[in-house]
Formats: sequence, C-alpha cells, structure tokens
Amino acid sequence: MQYRVTTWLSRQTALVLLALWLLPPPASGQAFRIEVRPVWRGQAIALDKAVQGPAGDSLLFHTLKFYLGHFEFLNHGATVFQDPGYHLLDLEAENSLDLLFKLPENLHFDSLRFAFGTDSLSNVSGALGGALDPSRGMYWSWQSGYINAKIEGQAERSPARGHHFQLHLGGYLPPAETLRKVVVSAAPKPRHLRLDWDLASFFEQIDWPTQHSIMSPGPAAAQAATRLAQAFRNHAP
Amino acid sequence: MRHKPVFQTIGTVAALVLLAFALPGPPPPDPVTLRYPAHWRAPVYDFSKNPLTRQGIELGRRLFYDPVLSRDSTVSCSSCHLSFTAFAHVDHALSHGIDDRIGRRNAPALMNLAWARHLMWDGAINHLDVQALAPISHPDEMDETLAHVLQKVQAKQPYPRLFWEAFGDSSATGEHLLKALSQFELTLLSDRSQYDRVQAGLDTFSRQEQSGYHLFRQYCARCHEEPFFTNFSFENNGLPLDTALRDLGRMAITGQAADSLKFKVPTLRNIEFSYPYMHDGRFRKLREVLQHYTQTTAPGARAELSATDKADLTAFLLTLTDRAFLFDPAFGFPLEK
Ligand code: HEC
Ligand code: HEC
Repeated sequence: MQYRVTTWLSRQTALVLLALWLLPPPASGQAFRIEVRPVWRGQAIALDKAVQGPAGDSLLFHTLKFYLGHFEFLNHGATVFQDPGYHLLDLEAENSLDLLFKLPENLHFDSLRFAFGTDSLSNVSGALGGALDPSRGMYWSWQSGYINAKIEGQAERSPARGHHFQLHLGGYLPPAETLRKVVVSAAPKPRHLRLDWDLASFFEQIDWPTQHSIMSPGPAAAQAATRLAQAFRNHAP
Repeated sequence: MRHKPVFQTIGTVAALVLLAFALPGPPPPDPVTLRYPAHWRAPVYDFSKNPLTRQGIELGRRLFYDPVLSRDSTVSCSSCHLSFTAFAHVDHALSHGIDDRIGRRNAPALMNLAWARHLMWDGAINHLDVQALAPISHPDEMDETLAHVLQKVQAKQPYPRLFWEAFGDSSATGEHLLKALSQFELTLLSDRSQYDRVQAGLDTFSRQEQSGYHLFRQYCARCHEEPFFTNFSFENNGLPLDTALRDLGRMAITGQAADSLKFKVPTLRNIEFSYPYMHDGRFRKLREVLQHYTQTTAPGARAELSATDKADLTAFLLTLTDRAFLFDPAFGFPLEK
C-alpha cells in the first residue's frame, strides 16, 4: 500500500508537471508587432529592383542591413516599457523585418523611441552574441566597432566603377558617433505598427561625387546617420 | 481504477519529457585562473564576460593552429605567430599570408595580452575578442569571412563536441569561436625570464646586466615600462617614415595630427627572438635598434650610449628571454590525446 501511494503520487506530480509544460503560459501580456519596411516614396523596396530618382535616374539596392534596438514605449513622454535588445534587419531575410514584443497587459503608450545603430558599450565589449554576433557581417574587421547600417547597390549617378555605391555607416567615438535615437508616434494604440523607412529623400540629396562610398567612421558617416534616422515614420499615424 | 492505463501512458510520457529536461548540458567546464606575479597590476581583460576554462582554452588552441580559418586552408594563426619565437613572425619583415601575399606590417609577438588596452601597431582594435576578425578577413592574410569559417568548423570533427564542452552549445557561433581564441591567447603569459627571477629574489644579474639595467631605466623604461616592458600606449620613437609604405600609425585611427608616426610601444620581453624589429620590421638586429636610439633626434627617444653601454644594454635585454614561455608545451601545436 505504502508503495502504491508513492507511485501514484509521483505519477500525479509527473502529470502536473507535464500539464504545466504543455499548456500555453498564462495569458498575461500582449503581443505587439512592428513591421519595418524600407520604402521608396511609399513603395516597398525590393532588392535588385530599380527605383527612380528625381531626374528619372535609376538606382537599385543589393544590400540593406541595419540595426535597430533599445525599443522604449512612451506615454506622454515617460517610458512605460522597454526592451533593451538589438535587432539586425536585413532585406534579404524578410522575417527579420518584423519585430515582436511582449508587452504588459493594458499598456498605454502613444509613441516609441528606439535606437538606429548600436550603443558605444556594445562597440567596446568584445565578442557579443545573437544579433550582435560578429559573424553576421556587421562588424568591421580592420578596426573595432559595428557597422550600424550597410547600404549597397548601384546608382546611375554614382561615379564609381560599375556605378556602384557602398555605405558602411558606423562609428561609436565622439564626435563621429553614428548612434541615433528615433521617436515615432504610435497612436492610436494598435496591436501592431508599420514603420516605414523612406530612403528616397536621403538618396535624392546625396552628393554622389563625394558620398558614393563611405567606408569608415567620420563626419560623412555621422551626417548620413542623422539623415537616415529622420527617414523613419509611422505608416498610418 | 478505470483510468489506470491512461494515467500510466501519460505518466510514462511525462517521465520521458522530464528526463529529456533533466539531461541537457555538458558537465560544467573546469575553471582556470590566470596566474601572474603578485606585484603585477590586475589585467584589463574582463574575465567575467569570458571566464577561462580548460575546455575553452583547448578549443582556442586548436583553432589557433588550424588553417581551416583561412580561405584555402593553408594559413593558420600560427603561420605568422610562431610559439618558439614568442608568437612573432620571425625572419619576415612584413608578414606573409595567403597566396604568399605580403602584408603591410610586421607580426608582433603575442604575450601578456590580458593587460593590453589596444591591439595592433596603431591600436585599431579595442578588444582582444574581436582582434581575430582582422586576420581572418584580411585579403592578404586569411581572406575568409567569419560566417564561412563557422560553417567549415561546424562540419569538422571534433569541433562540435569541443564547442559543446566549452560553451554548452555544439553549434559554433562567432561569439564562441572568438572567445575561445581569446582564452588561449590570454594564457600566453611570459613571466619566467631571468629578469623575473631577479625581481622575485631568486636570481641575480651579472655586473654587465646590472649596468645594462641602469641604462635601460635611464633611457628606455619611460616607454618600455616594467614589468610588461611597454606602457601600452602610443609613442613616436623617432623612426623616419618609410615612404613606400607611408604608414602613419595611430593617426590613421584617431585622425589627430598629433598622433602621426606614433605606434603602440611593443613589449621587449623575448626580444632576442622576435626579430625583425619595429612595425615594418626594418631592423634585423638589436645592434641596429640601439644604433637608431643613439642617432635619433626625436625628443624623449634619444639615448647617449657608448660602445660598452650598448653591450651592457644588450646583455640586459637578453635577460628578458623566457625559455619556459617559448617552449611551454601548453602553447605549442595541440597533439591528439
Ligand atoms: C598573415 C600573417 C598573420 C596571420 C595569419 C595572423 N596574424 Fe595576427 N598579426 C599579424 C600582423 C601583421 C599583426 C599586426 C597588424 C597591425 O598592427 O596592423 C598582427 C597582430 C595580431 C595581434 C595583436 C597583437 C598586439 O599586441 O597588438 C593579435 C592578438 C594577433 N595578431 C592574433 C592573431 C590570431 C588569433 C590569428 C589567427 C586568427 C592571427 N593573428 C593570424 C599577422 C598575422
Ligand atoms: C619615446 C618612447 C620610447 C623610448 C624612450 C624607447 N622606445 Fe623602443 N620603441 C618605442 C616604440 C613606439 C616602438 C615601436 C616603433 C615602431 O615600430 O614604429 C619601439 C620599438 C622598440 C624595439 C622593437 C621591438 C619589436 O618587437 O619590434 C626595440 C628592441 C626597442 N624599442 C628598444 C628600445 C630601447 C633599448 C630603448 C632605450 C634605449 C627604447 N626602445 C626606448 C618607443 C620607445
């Protein structure tokens, strides 16, 4: 009898544990999705597909990879929730453009603040993992630091061989740091948000003779980072 | 008792599930503490982010000696950093890499890296963990990408097991590969030279060595600071610019004119073996180095040395040779157990 009670008890325990493991976690928290879309005057950009510049000149992208992170959800300017992680968005890996967050239930927020680029601590901390793993092609090798955004392609107006252009924007040391904070409105409180990154005005203003190739930190990279950070907006505010 | 069979089945499933959860994880790797002389200051490397373990060090050593890190599997880290010459590229003024291509700089000796704040002659790299990216992806060195190296390493036995044992994850990630290399490099400690024994009161200098030590303190120690024989910073020791290489050193990184022709002060430990000397390997003999210091007009670098002084100073520099380091089997090519 003693024996049977114990086996039964342990079976009950196993059962409870199994149930705990199999059942979905208690429904606390709400999912929130941010769909980031690189666009050209509102139209989704596809790799290797030409878009038109202001003078009818054509331009296409081969690579579009960039870091976003440190998402903060704000209500009347105060942070009500934050997720300090980094995301590497890569137009070639489409699901990398959808960012998922688990928010506390009934969170009220009216805007979002996030980083375009990586912070200086990440740039001096050696080998990191996940989105920041140096094998993901976003770490400079000949010097230290992350490339916060890699934008490569061909543009009719680029004077480089084959009309190529190559922007590797990074740098964490002042005065040429390239981390930028972006704030977008998130109202009315939705379950998801589409964040457009419109590259058209950046490329329409680019000074092709001097800026078709930015491969190291410096004033040109810093200026480009500022202008690219201004290109994010809520698709349907 | 009608439900018994059902309970039994569920119970078995549950037991299996529990077992699967109880099993994971290799035994924790064996921690290793870096041992260094008591009078040395604490290392700058943050070991809390990458704790040394026997398994991590062993994995790093294997990677260091494995040409799988290069595009065509011909070049390993040890091709340019040979243990018997204090991990410098002996005889090559400018290091040789893949396809026999010649790089721009002389491969420095590797030792006591846990104290280094910057790496490379111009300090371009700010952390040991990310240093290996430079040779792996340099077209004249190993000409690979880290992502592709990881694919190759993943497919090569016994790496998955070694990664599992060291980091509890059998898939090779960039973070873990780089941290393993760091772990091995961090163990390259040179602290067993005659100089070190004299400091510990276990040995003495000859009269000539002692005289050389005085001269050293007078003229050299300002930059080649004891006990590391470097102050870990950037200085101009008066070498004229090589107009073919046009290497401006630190200025290329900081963009500051004041940093023009400044290079990281190299350690003088094992200097007997790490020839040729200077960032471009322009001197083959210590004699030529001392000649330079007596001729330069650079402020703070010039030394007034007679012929006897030079002989004495050289005798002192040879006391920095650390044979126990050079021939330590723990640092050599990893032999199968
Ligand atoms: C083709 C030759 C070559 C290969 C292969 C090579 N190195 Fe080097 N190494 C060099 C040169 C040259 C430098 C100095 C570079 C500079 O200052 O710009 C250097 C510098 C270093 C430094 C910095 C030392 C200091 O004190 O500043 C470390 C650490 C290092 N290498 C480790 C490695 C590792 C690990 C590997 C293998 C992944 C490797 N090296 C492969 C030539 C090589
Ligand atoms: C002003 C700082 C300074 C002083 C003083 C100085 N050095 Fe140096 N030393 C350096 C720097 C910087 C380098 C590397 C220069 C380069 O490669 O361009 C160097 C390189 C060397 C090297 C070559 C090491 C190698 O691995 O390539 C030797 C040997 C050397 N110094 C010995 C001496 C001796 C002996 C003295 C005293 C007579 C001395 N130094 C004084 C800064 C200094």
